[in-house]
Amino acid sequence: MEIFPALLSVITDPTLLFAIVLAAAVGMIVGATPGLTASAAIAMLLPITFYMPPLFALAFLYVIGKSGRYGGSVAAILFNTPGTAASAATQIDGYPLARAGKAGKAMKVATISSVIGDFMGDIMLVVGVGFIASIALKLGPPETFAIYFAAFVVIGSVIGKSITKGLISALLGILVAMVGLDPISSEERYTFGSFELSNGIGLVPLMIGVFVLGEVFAQLEERKKAKGEVRENESDPSGHTLTYEEYKPCIPHAIRGGFIGAGIGVLPGLGSAIAAFISYGEGKRRAKNPEQWGKGALEGVAAPEAANNAVSGPSMAPLLTLGIPGSTIGAILLGVFLIHGIQVGPTLFLTDKELVYQLFACGMLGIFAYGIIGYFGATQVARLILKVPVNVLYPLIFLTAFVAAYSARGSMFDVTVMTVAGFVGWLMRKFDFNVAAFVISFVLAKGAEETFRQSLLMSDGGALIFVERPIAAGFLLLGLAAMGFRIRSIMKERRIAEGGLGDA
Amino acid sequence: MKRRAFLGAITAAAALVATTATGYAADWPKRPINLVVPYKAGGGTDAYARAISAAAEGVLDVPVVVVNKPGSGGLNGANAVVGARPDGYTMMMTSGGSFLLSTMTRDTKIDALDSFDFVAQVGQLRTSLMVPVNSPYQSVQDVIDAAKADPGSLRWAHSGRGGFHHVGGLGFLANNGIEAQDVPFKGGGPTRAALIGEQADFGFLGVQQLRGFEEQLRALAVNSADRDTIMSDVPSFGELGVPFAAVSSPVIVFAPKGTPAEVISAMETALAEIAAKPEFAELLAERGTGPIFANGADARAALNAMQADAAPLVQNLNN
Repeated sequence: MEIFPALLSVITDPTLLFAIVLAAAVGMIVGATPGLTASAAIAMLLPITFYMPPLFALAFLYVIGKSGRYGGSVAAILFNTPGTAASAATQIDGYPLARAGKAGKAMKVATISSVIGDFMGDIMLVVGVGFIASIALKLGPPETFAIYFAAFVVIGSVIGKSITKGLISALLGILVAMVGLDPISSEERYTFGSFELSNGIGLVPLMIGVFVLGEVFAQLEERKKAKGEVRENESDPSGHTLTYEEYKPCIPHAIRGGFIGAGIGVLPGLGSAIAAFISYGEGKRRAKNPEQWGKGALEGVAAPEAANNAVSGPSMAPLLTLGIPGSTIGAILLGVFLIHGIQVGPTLFLTDKELVYQLFACGMLGIFAYGIIGYFGATQVARLILKVPVNVLYPLIFLTAFVAAYSARGSMFDVTVMTVAGFVGWLMRKFDFNVAAFVISFVLAKGAEETFRQSLLMSDGGALIFVERPIAAGFLLLGLAAMGFRIRSIMKERRIAEGGLGDA
Repeated sequence: MKRRAFLGAITAAAALVATTATGYAADWPKRPINLVVPYKAGGGTDAYARAISAAAEGVLDVPVVVVNKPGSGGLNGANAVVGARPDGYTMMMTSGGSFLLSTMTRDTKIDALDSFDFVAQVGQLRTSLMVPVNSPYQSVQDVIDAAKADPGSLRWAHSGRGGFHHVGGLGFLANNGIEAQDVPFKGGGPTRAALIGEQADFGFLGVQQLRGFEEQLRALAVNSADRDTIMSDVPSFGELGVPFAAVSSPVIVFAPKGTPAEVISAMETALAEIAAKPEFAELLAERGTGPIFANGADARAALNAMQADAAPLVQNLNN
């Protein structure tokens, strides 16, 4: 148990503790600001950390990442504009809660659930990092494709009211993901001779456009329609407090979310958005009150938030053991390791074991820090931000959206992408298409296509490779089973709707 | 606020006019130098740029800022630098081999040999033939024999079609008259992980990728006539008498065409001094690479020679 001496050495270092608390506060504010993501903030802060000692730099950025994941929920609940794709799942129930004057309650649930999920993820990381490394190595393209397949199917469960429109949204996401270089042959596809398009559509500008700009456009339009109407965001005092009785039904969802998030976090490239949506879908499926979900159920905030933060710890496993970053934040942290001359990989645990466990210890203290700041401070932040009139807030969101889109890669083309994506997102909302399905399919399609075609190259074009390998077959079965359940529940709903066997 | 921004713009414009006036080359460098790396942070080329940036202290009076502009096989960053102001404050460091090959295979106006001024070469990345540690193949000959016994049955991994690892692998296959199916992965890290996980029978990846993974991978040969100076335990195709294509990747610093000759020669001198510093070698040794300095003219000649070697191999990729 190397974690205890590490914890001790971190606790006894006041400057390091200060850095952790500072990072927790910075991360939360950054995450809570719509349009500004933790990864964008980390990318901007990266140059500063060159002048810090390695543990300091890594701990600072790692905690910002954790706290920023949590902070995204504040923006999702308050403004219906998630800073990250992951908090889009939190938003489904969080925003209705805020509209009902329970913003404070929702944020407290988000805080507690994030802390639970994050802690679960970190404990699993500390306990299982060596074991994880040996498993992760065995996953080849067929297994990874099967995981993508299962993820695609499960995402179908959050596709929304209209299955047809949900599927069209997903297909649109896949189509947009095809733009750029073919992952196998490196030939250009759908680039129309444009050099910029040959680089593909960036995830960050697309997400900012669809989720932030699109939402602002949609809300502007709504406000124009509903002249004179005031947004009912005033909270009654009971909307800010949270009792144990109220949180009790959320606990199983938070713990399940923790496991889902940790499981997905280990797999490189899937990321917290998928974890949050799967956790939300699973939670809704198992909930006692599924009809409440989507209209402002506290459980609907707990499930995705716990999963979202549980990804943070385990996603470090492939990064540290294989050098494969599982997320944008991971990719940046990899850079920090390299800058400080630390070689990540299986040997990291031989050469820099102490540092790694100290980093884990810092992460755990960071969870405490943002938990406390969030629990007592999020409501104040919320009150403050709610007092900002929309004609100040929207321009501010607009500005941060443009800055964030540009600063991620320093590219003006990304700003264009974001603007176009903003209009697309607005139109999709207007005509009831599912923007979450669109973005998630966009993320999944690239990896799914790449691994599918790699698998076929490995097997000379034979599809049996997916069945012959046990792990791959297992995940495919899981996906098919999920699909079966989904079809059954739809049939059931139909029958009930037709009044046939509904009462039986 | 508005007025202040406007005044700021005026001042900036005035400053620009002042700096573009003649004679400024003499007091170069006055501002930080942006070194564009057209790959993601964390790759082999990026490691060189970070090491240069760290070791530049004391040689250059201004900081060297590494700017990652990844995408399109390195052409994204190249495109950004080719149009940059040729004032010596924007330069590019790239993997020369991959850059050359992508300009040969992709539809682009950039010519690796003519679109830029060569400043200097500071390092060298070499590709190598590796197998998983549990692989039955103990030598290069084992791989060749297995491929000949059942043509097309072997799978080999590399970091992306058109890159110098892929072309190096193609050269090995073509020169030895064997066939195998390639499975491209995205970048060196995933390729190495796939090979460790035994997803392919062998792979072509940077010889420095072995560093720290000696217990998971076995490097059978490095794709060059002589051994790598740092990873010197790995035999070379040359000494084994196995025919190969001389494709490697010199790490070269390029400047936009039209950069004043005084600036280029000042930077060349500075790079020579940095490359000779022991810290630079130490920083690189951790990543399994080392400094190899050549002046701009020699770097250009080496790339020119590689173009001739690679041309027949990439012809099939052109379409």
